[in-house]
Amino acid sequence: MAPLSTDLLVIGGGATGAGVAFDAALRGFDVVLVDRADLAEGTSGRFHGLLHSGGRYVVKDPNAAIECIGENRIVREIAADAIEDTGGFFVSTPWDDPAYADRFAQGCADTGVDCEEIPVAQALREEPRLNPDISRAFRVPDANVDAWKLVWGLARGAQERGGRILTYHEVVGVHREGDEVTGARVRDARTGDELDVEAAMTVNAAGAWAHHIAEMAGIEGVRILPGRGIMIAMNHRLVNTVVNRCQSPTDGDILVPIRTVSVIGTTDVHTDDPDDHTVLQDEVDAMLDDGEKLVPGFKRARALRVWTGVRPLFEDAKEEGTDTRDVTRAHAILDHVERDGVKRFLTITGGKLTTYRLMAKDAVDAVCAQRGETRPCTTSTAVLPGSADRGPYLLGERLERKEEHLRDDQLVCECEMIARSKLEEVMRRRATTNLDDIRRSLRLGMGPCQGGFCIPRATGILHAMNGMSHEEANASLLGFLRERWKGVWPILYGDQVRQARLDDWIFQGVLDVEHLPG
Amino acid sequence: MTAERHVDAVVIGAGTAGLTAGALLAEGGARVVVVAKGVGSTHLAPGTVDVLGYDPDRVEAPGAALAGFVAAHPEHPYARLGPDAVEPALEWFRAKVQAGPQPGYAYVGDLARNHMLPTAAGALRPSALVPETMAPGDAAADTSPVCVAGMRVLRDFHPELCAANLTAAGIPARAVELEVDMGRADANALGLARRLDDPSFRAAFAGQLGSKLRGGERVALPAMLGLRDPHRVWTELQERLDTPVFEIPTLPPSVPGMRLSDVLRAALRAAGGRLVLGSEVVGGERDGARVSAVRVHASGHDVLYHARWFVLAAGGLNSGSIELGSDWVVRETALGLPVHGAPGPGEPRFLPDVFAEQPLSRVGIAVDAGLRAEGTENVLVAGASLPGAVPWKEGSGEGIALTSAHRAAAAVLAAERIEATA
Amino acid sequence: MTDVLHELLRGSLDHCVKCTICETACPVSNVTPLFPGPKYEGPQAERLRVAGDPSVDHSVDYCSGCGICTQVCPQGVKIAEINAQARNKLKQRDGVPLRDRIITRPTVVGRLGTPAAPIANASARNRLVRVATEKLMRIHRDAPVPSFAGRRFSSWAKKHSSPRTGRKVVYFHGCGTEYYEPEEGEKLVAILEHNGFEVEVPKQDCCGLPLQSSGLFDDARKVVLRLARALAPHVRDGSIIVGNATSCTVMLKREAREILSLEDDPDLKLVSERTYDICELLLELHDRGELKTDFRPVPEKIAYHAPCQQQGHGIGKPALDLFALIPELEVVEMDARCCGIAGTYGLKQEKYEIAMAVGADLFGQVAASGADTVACDSETCRWQISHATDRPSVHPIDLLHRAYGLS
Repeated sequence: MAPLSTDLLVIGGGATGAGVAFDAALRGFDVVLVDRADLAEGTSGRFHGLLHSGGRYVVKDPNAAIECIGENRIVREIAADAIEDTGGFFVSTPWDDPAYADRFAQGCADTGVDCEEIPVAQALREEPRLNPDISRAFRVPDANVDAWKLVWGLARGAQERGGRILTYHEVVGVHREGDEVTGARVRDARTGDELDVEAAMTVNAAGAWAHHIAEMAGIEGVRILPGRGIMIAMNHRLVNTVVNRCQSPTDGDILVPIRTVSVIGTTDVHTDDPDDHTVLQDEVDAMLDDGEKLVPGFKRARALRVWTGVRPLFEDAKEEGTDTRDVTRAHAILDHVERDGVKRFLTITGGKLTTYRLMAKDAVDAVCAQRGETRPCTTSTAVLPGSADRGPYLLGERLERKEEHLRDDQLVCECEMIARSKLEEVMRRRATTNLDDIRRSLRLGMGPCQGGFCIPRATGILHAMNGMSHEEANASLLGFLRERWKGVWPILYGDQVRQARLDDWIFQGVLDVEHLPG
Repeated sequence: MTAERHVDAVVIGAGTAGLTAGALLAEGGARVVVVAKGVGSTHLAPGTVDVLGYDPDRVEAPGAALAGFVAAHPEHPYARLGPDAVEPALEWFRAKVQAGPQPGYAYVGDLARNHMLPTAAGALRPSALVPETMAPGDAAADTSPVCVAGMRVLRDFHPELCAANLTAAGIPARAVELEVDMGRADANALGLARRLDDPSFRAAFAGQLGSKLRGGERVALPAMLGLRDPHRVWTELQERLDTPVFEIPTLPPSVPGMRLSDVLRAALRAAGGRLVLGSEVVGGERDGARVSAVRVHASGHDVLYHARWFVLAAGGLNSGSIELGSDWVVRETALGLPVHGAPGPGEPRFLPDVFAEQPLSRVGIAVDAGLRAEGTENVLVAGASLPGAVPWKEGSGEGIALTSAHRAAAAVLAAERIEATA
Repeated sequence: MTDVLHELLRGSLDHCVKCTICETACPVSNVTPLFPGPKYEGPQAERLRVAGDPSVDHSVDYCSGCGICTQVCPQGVKIAEINAQARNKLKQRDGVPLRDRIITRPTVVGRLGTPAAPIANASARNRLVRVATEKLMRIHRDAPVPSFAGRRFSSWAKKHSSPRTGRKVVYFHGCGTEYYEPEEGEKLVAILEHNGFEVEVPKQDCCGLPLQSSGLFDDARKVVLRLARALAPHVRDGSIIVGNATSCTVMLKREAREILSLEDDPDLKLVSERTYDICELLLELHDRGELKTDFRPVPEKIAYHAPCQQQGHGIGKPALDLFALIPELEVVEMDARCCGIAGTYGLKQEKYEIAMAVGADLFGQVAASGADTVACDSETCRWQISHATDRPSVHPIDLLHRAYGLS
């Protein structure tokens, strides 16, 4: 295959990489973005969905707090479609040090994070499920962000300006000529074909996998400390406001309402492998107990799914850190010219999704600097596709939209209100036979029934549309079930067991999928 | 305050096992009330009577296989019941269908061999006793070409995938799509079945379907061949189309399952039994091993049902009758009865492989050889609440339900006769 | 007023495994696509409603509130109750038409209509008046509006004194008996007195159910609490309350506390625990051997339909067991879900046709039964059944009253 040629090769399709691609495209660069899988399948797609107000950092990491509140305000404007303005609370539970609350309030004042102390009674009126024994409550501008919408918005923004987004293209080699990186070789995971991308500059935005990419470029010592954390999605919104424990950041201290669920997170366990998705029973129990502290009765509510995300925490020093939480969360741009004598290659790592835009700006600024060019960044005012004339996302709007089409559009996934027309459109656009891809785009099968009803329907629709072979269709269905089970079995108790039994009934008893031919 | 009722026997659960036990007890002369949190399993299952389908390979002849099966699985309900107990239960069921509210409707088959029925996905599923409306699809008897007919309005059935998989399994099949206007975008099999109960709709439907058929093709439809009068719907379609027609079970709601429920409810009613839905049993009163009453949350005040006998057929883990709490402890939630087969603390309850047999699958209420719940002398257990089975993997759910319900009812009636003559 | 119970009610949506059993049972969604179904409107849509924000789906207003979905749900989801609360939020946002403010206040209607009964009843039967009412107020011209009795049951009760037996029972008669069927109340009192009870009829008013069904929760709360305050003092001595209007008694027993979030009110709690349906009470007496069974033969064939909200009591069908005590009475049990009226639902112009379609199965069964009379525990259902089948419809106690020889 003829090599692709571009100004900027971005490796990694998470929020950082997509942000870099969009920023660079706005500045007139030709961009190619590659990711070994679908966009936002790494850390970006696996966090709890919080758009930080910065309150979490005001005491311990004021710089991070200042960054967060600044970006929080900007992202709400440019990516309105991906943001739901839930607001946030910081609450002092009986397990929290009451003195921290004052430090918190002071920290907010010092860093510019909007913060208003409200009477506990009011917090409880607004959130009746909150622990009635909280002693103090503060209101902050937390929000939730739909990472897929955000990342795909950025990608589409880049595409609109000529950028090329190549998902399922894994980097299998980085080209070095002398002390210069000239591009990379990628392999299409679906066909096995390999392709060279020649790039004037290459940005390594591979997040928790950044050191693998750097090693391929012959660069040693890019130390990423993967910090694995679990999150549990509860079946419905137990709260409608983001609830944070008012204390020094620790495990299980955030409860985020996002879309139709509430997510409790998270833990922080050092791992060597960024693809480590182990879920430990102790972590699950701890998360449920932490949830119980915020919302009494949490453990009787229904847990829908558990998953892990691996944070890329960057450590430049050579010392060992035992608690990865203490490692700075600020991001780092590694200009490898000075550091390693390698030109035309940058690594951007660390950071959090809330500050993706700043990270991207810094990265593209560094690209410009290395090229000796001046191209100003315009992303602070560039509205993403899909966010143009919309206010922030309102969950209830989906019911209203569905009602308009009640008579003429089928619901394939009832839990998540996914219409057949939408499903077919995405199937056509993504040109995929993989139900998991569609799950990521649309949240197909991510509701309480966990695919029991929608997956047989979607498989039938996909098969009929695509002219797939029955083997492919069967494999897609079985593959979905296996993938879904990974996030289900560690938190299978109570109501979810009944659901799992009904799903068994459907797949084994009614459809007998294990005895499909081929 | 609490209201009180006195009956001879209380059955807890309105699924296949509960309704069967209730009907049998009423037929035996007992004053019975069936209390249930809601409608039972019937509406979700395909409506066939599965006795033994997989062991783990496909079973051709369930009757013959039972002896070996129970020898290999001494903790299985069939082992407690004995292989010979199944046939009389099936016979009773067949008779109830015949005497039931759907004129002319019948179940066919027996323990001699399993039918191999197409599923909506296009697999072939073994089942012993099947509605007549499904029997022409039996692949063990007939592998001639099939035209699988679907409707876009029925999102639960996809004829192309069904046909493709059937073809791969050795039954040449093709798909056609029919236009059916239901006045809405989403219909389910029940809505379509109600329409087919209407003769004028049926005629038009047959006309459209007939125009798409080729010669020598059987016709497969999703399970919608009438709720009230399936025999007439099915025979009329076969006559009009001049070819065998069979229905394939779809995602719930299961029309054949609802028919089965109607049969059992009619049997219960005909025998003078009572059914109270929306009534969850939340506790009981007992004196040592003798349970004297069960407490039901009704509106306003609870109702205490006093009885001499109780049959617990409440559905096990499926319905929350047996529950796995977030503390990972397994409990029976109505009467606090001991459970059997739960993994111990620290032992895995589930495995990462979705298709493996999960360690928690065989949990049930601990019972003795006579199906009596451990620690009680007058509580019997039937159906999915029994330990030792994996009904969907084995294809044994209805067989267990019917047979255990028979055993439970018989035990109660026998004891009553002894007490009456004593 | 705490909203915690709402949250707990909403929390019951966690039990939903999407099994569709509620949808098979819903009488409304099975006849009209305007109502997408209990699973959709209840546990499913509730996950998309941000609690505290008004619901945006107007289709929830087509739920008739019959409650069958909750009764059949095998997992314990409070489906009808979630729908009711969503409807309330919808009305808070969208407002309530004048019609709904009027027909939900049977006390007001009753007090106005009773003294003018002859004119009011004649108007209600006058085609022109009905057409005009439909245009102005959107009450369907054919809707089965009842006839005012022209007298009030409470007037009779004030003048009547029960023999002092010391075995007290408190009678909650409801608006139906008060303004439209006072003779029913007299029969109930006669039956209870025949069985040795001393019947007390406190000053009382509406239970608030029509207001609740139309989504007017604040008003419903005021009304039902007023009733609770009126009844509670009479039962602190351990007495029970008996009623013949099965919708109103289930409102007191359960719905007001659950749907209106009044779990904590002590008077309502007391009243709810002590409330009995009349057939429920008589059967329990019989169960204890305390019911007089001196029934004469009633050689008739009747059909019996148990209304949805009678089923909502969770007590089975005690009327059937009582009928079995009456010699020669032949009873054909109807096997239909709902007559369609659902209180005031079927009176509304936009819902009348739906209500008649819902009841079609029952009406057909009645016609096929060969019975001349239909027994049914709820007055609004009786009016609908008579309207649709052209047969008289009576409360089950009517048969008992006759069999006792009290008629």
